Amino acid sequence: MVSTKQIVKEETIIKLENISKTFLVEDGEARVIDKIDMEIRENEFLVLFGAGQCGKTTLLKMLAGLENKTEGKILLGGKEMKGFDPGIGMVYQTTALFPWLSVMGNVEFGPKARGVSKKERQKQAQYYIDLVGLKGFEKHFPSMLSGGMCQRVGIARAYCNDPKIILMDEPFGHLDAQTRYMMEEEVEKIWDREKRTIVFVTNNIEEALYLADRIIILTECPAKVLKEYTIDLPRPRDLVSPEFLSLREEISSLVDLREGADNE
Amino acid sequence: MKEKTKYIVISIISFVLFLVIWDLVSKSGLISAKKLPAPSKLFETFIYKIFNKNPDGNTLGIHILTSLKEALIGFFFGIVIGVPLGISMAWFKKFDKFFSPLFDLIKPIPPVGWVPIMITFFGIGIMSKVSVIFIASFIPAVINSYSGIKQTRDVHKWVAQTFGASDRQVLFTVAIPSAGPMIFTGARVALNGSWVSLVAAELIASTKGLGYMIQTARLVGRIDVVFVGVLVIGVFGAIMMEALSLLERRFVKGGRRS
Amino acid sequence: MTKTLFSKDSRETWFYGIMGLLVFLLVWQAACIFTDFGRIFPTPGVSLSAFFHAFIEPIGRYTLLGHISISLRRVLIGYTLSSISGIIIGLLMGYSKLAHAIIYPIFSIIRPIPGIAWIPLAILWIGIGEPTIHFIIFMGGFSQMVMNTMDGAQHIDMELVGVAKVLGAKESQIFRKIVLPSSIPYIFTGLQTSLSTSWMAVLAAEMITAREGAGWLIIAGMQTGKIENNVIGMISIGAVGLVLATLLRNSERRLCRWSVRSR
Repeated sequence: MVSTKQIVKEETIIKLENISKTFLVEDGEARVIDKIDMEIRENEFLVLFGAGQCGKTTLLKMLAGLENKTEGKILLGGKEMKGFDPGIGMVYQTTALFPWLSVMGNVEFGPKARGVSKKERQKQAQYYIDLVGLKGFEKHFPSMLSGGMCQRVGIARAYCNDPKIILMDEPFGHLDAQTRYMMEEEVEKIWDREKRTIVFVTNNIEEALYLADRIIILTECPAKVLKEYTIDLPRPRDLVSPEFLSLREEISSLVDLREGADNE
Repeated sequence: MKEKTKYIVISIISFVLFLVIWDLVSKSGLISAKKLPAPSKLFETFIYKIFNKNPDGNTLGIHILTSLKEALIGFFFGIVIGVPLGISMAWFKKFDKFFSPLFDLIKPIPPVGWVPIMITFFGIGIMSKVSVIFIASFIPAVINSYSGIKQTRDVHKWVAQTFGASDRQVLFTVAIPSAGPMIFTGARVALNGSWVSLVAAELIASTKGLGYMIQTARLVGRIDVVFVGVLVIGVFGAIMMEALSLLERRFVKGGRRS
Repeated sequence: MTKTLFSKDSRETWFYGIMGLLVFLLVWQAACIFTDFGRIFPTPGVSLSAFFHAFIEPIGRYTLLGHISISLRRVLIGYTLSSISGIIIGLLMGYSKLAHAIIYPIFSIIRPIPGIAWIPLAILWIGIGEPTIHFIIFMGGFSQMVMNTMDGAQHIDMELVGVAKVLGAKESQIFRKIVLPSSIPYIFTGLQTSLSTSWMAVLAAEMITAREGAGWLIIAGMQTGKIENNVIGMISIGAVGLVLATLLRNSERRLCRWSVRSR
């Protein structure tokens, strides 16, 4: 995948039509996602932003094939998606690394599950380990790594399966602020070198604005599409530029207002 | 560092003092040597028992080998059958539903409770002991591998599933490795239980082995031999546990899950 | 998500569970009828009727309940003694490095010796009788109690101790308010394993040196060729073991609700 600077035509690779999700709870039903329509385009950095806890992760898990939908359709490349698709990779909220495997073992897990030969998959894995800046740590076990390093391994692992789309579920939510900034820069750099479609869930507005080509703002329980922003500020973004700050202001007030309205 | 040496010195002094007092108490006749033989006497008996067949018909080495053989055979089969059964019960629902009630029935019976029945079936030879030890290690092996598999984190399964791993692959590449530490805990409980029930079975009915040695020595009033036997039982129990820990360190990589 | 008796999943559970037990009973019955197994072993039906008879007719000197209550009393005495002294020594060794340095080397000789292995020594020391049985049960549970309690007292949050010291707490207060409560989950783990070991120790002791109790019941069944008594004994031993474990687990759940270790 060579990154082409000239953007041809951004094609839609995933289409969500009228997606809803209802969970059965003790006293009836709880609707967490309500009629979401959405298009995800090739090689874009899409951020799903929302303040609350509910809906976003469920939506992501549906895309990954880990959760059934109650209503609606997910079209992947024009065909309806059923179950897991090897073209979709995921980076999880907490460290989802296998503690019994080394960094190399974790990163080569995907190709290994597909039956790629040892030489081939280790070559691939090494490439991505180098890409996320963990050269020299191949033989370390996750318990020896810091939280930030673990998430780097998680990112390398997702990339190593060579998916078209990578889902990231608040991957930096558990990191301290400093590491978080570093990781955001890192993800942007990696994405720039290895273009993939990234769908990134966060509840941190700075993170959203720093990374996104497009932000879709979701309401809280049930999640609905509230508004969509296309961010065309130049990258890497300046966190204190007036445009950045005014967008930040605008989106925060939007979310705050919504919450105020919900609470009444 | 200096504080550490201080405590080591205290430990050594305490231990030596313990032996000296024991020796004095026994030699001065404060407690009759028939009740408490002196440590030096025990050492003599230990050396004596290595070469001499009195009073129970076999040398110490034969007793140790007999006990170890019985314990390890029973333990081996308990693990080899128990671990796969526990894993299958945790992974396949129907297996679980079929075996769980049966297993719940035998689980609370202490292994020692099986001794008489096994003797009735197999006589007092090696089979009765092996089968008691089998039960003693089978039960914890099943319980621990079962809960080890059940505790597999969902997110680990998801990772494998999104990578397109089949159900079988998820079991072998995710669930079983993640249950590794629990399975080893089970093996440790099993080994401990094996050794305990072996001693019990040998005390109750046998013709060889450490349990038999101390029981016979008791009957003929050789308390020094009883003492040596009890200590040897302790030492070999500890050695086997240590060997298992070494094995665990080799097999369970990435440290124990916290 | 309440499961009803009639939901599909729960029906399946019942179905397979009952199937499993039926297969077990059938194999037992068939083995009794068609193989030599039947010559020494009673059928399920005979065992069951013997079990109910044993509540009324005495076996040896007592009825089934009599034997069980004798064993229980022995366990209770030995177990209480081993728990109390195990907790005290464990706390001492866990909290004070000096006590640890003094006691641990001596303790580590005793630790790996199974309680049951003390039987011949105990008989030589104390003779045959109740105190010997209590001693064996004591030795069965003691090391586990010490090890678990010590583990707990060593794993206290040193930050908490620091805070308490800054606030001017005395050594004894720290011990009572921090060390003791944080060790309680570990103590409970110790109490559980030690109880099942004690229950096993009483059986072994009774098999070797007693004329009554659940352990005697099964060994007498073997010696007199009345295997049904053996089976009865095992069923009741299992049942009592289960009840004891459940009681302790429930009390842990009540007493240590704050702890993560108790689920």
